[in-house]
Amino acid sequence: MLKPFDELREKLLRGGVAPRHVRRYLGELGDHLADLRVEEEGAGKSRAEAEAAALLRLGGMDELAQAMIARRQLQAWSVRTPWAVFGVAPLLLLAGAWCVALAILWTGWNIFLPGADTPFGTRLGAHQMFDLANLYFQLDRFIYFAAPILVGWGIGLIAARQRFKAVWPTAGLVLIALIGGTARVHASRTGVPGGFGHISMDFTLGSTMPLIPYGLIHVAVILLLTVLPYLVWRLYKGRELSA
Amino acid sequence: MAGRETNPNFMNGVPELLILRLLHEGEMYGYEIVQAIRNRSDAVIAVGEGVVYPVLHGLEEDGALTSRRRTVNGRSRIYYSVTPAGSLRLADLALDWNKLTTAIQTMLTGGQCAEAIR
Repeated sequence: MLKPFDELREKLLRGGVAPRHVRRYLGELGDHLADLRVEEEGAGKSRAEAEAAALLRLGGMDELAQAMIARRQLQAWSVRTPWAVFGVAPLLLLAGAWCVALAILWTGWNIFLPGADTPFGTRLGAHQMFDLANLYFQLDRFIYFAAPILVGWGIGLIAARQRFKAVWPTAGLVLIALIGGTARVHASRTGVPGGFGHISMDFTLGSTMPLIPYGLIHVAVILLLTVLPYLVWRLYKGRELSA
Repeated sequence: MAGRETNPNFMNGVPELLILRLLHEGEMYGYEIVQAIRNRSDAVIAVGEGVVYPVLHGLEEDGALTSRRRTVNGRSRIYYSVTPAGSLRLADLALDWNKLTTAIQTMLTGGQCAEAIR
């Protein structure tokens, strides 16, 4: 029943209408079309004639699309404020995820490695692989390294749902890859014996020249992992529409 | 899909007024609203029937309407009803519309309207 509205869905999404409004609109139009068809059939028309008359009464595709697109309050936030959705919000999400990761690192360091000068570089024996301490630190590593990729996938998902042109999503993905690839975590004890551990972050491609290529590779890997699903989707959608 | 002839420019703002007026009497779903507009206006007011939904969605986003899903005769329908803010909006729109029609009527009959269209 929704086949006549496939074209309308694309027009609405490309016109900036929020996906939740599009979904509901198409559902309501489908119900309305069914009611109109029943009414026309009740008036003595054949099924095909009733279908055609019902579509005519519902309105032209352009008219139906424009009526939604013209209403700014129905537009998606990603269309109204793309800088916030593809720039500020991903950065805040990434910052939030890293705050959680650093909190886990700091508490793990103080609980499981109270005497160590740093939580990094402590080697575990094979029997310790499934220790609570190891699982705790692995969770921390997962959150820290996965956060930029998950945030990047989120950007790609929003862009794909809204049929966004590539400019804003690409800018967001590059920003996340740069921040994710240049972030470095440092941990040290204060000068006082037994003092609190201190954890800090900075953003650099590499502290020395030989380390810069590694920083660049990290940026490129994050960018590739986040861009790839979005690119595949665009190619798939492009082929689907041309077919 | 070819559209039928409508009068969209003249209809600017009118669907909101008609919908709020109808829903002020009780909750309805889209098809019912369109039928009611057609019956009460003797089919003088012609819009593409699907165009009623953007108006409903817009009014709901503005807080003038609220909606709920109900299953009637095995079919799920979205029923709309007016909120207190919607009642105030209806009063404002009705007042503006009355001023407008009075002004136009006065001009058509060759008189002068002190409260010109603002």
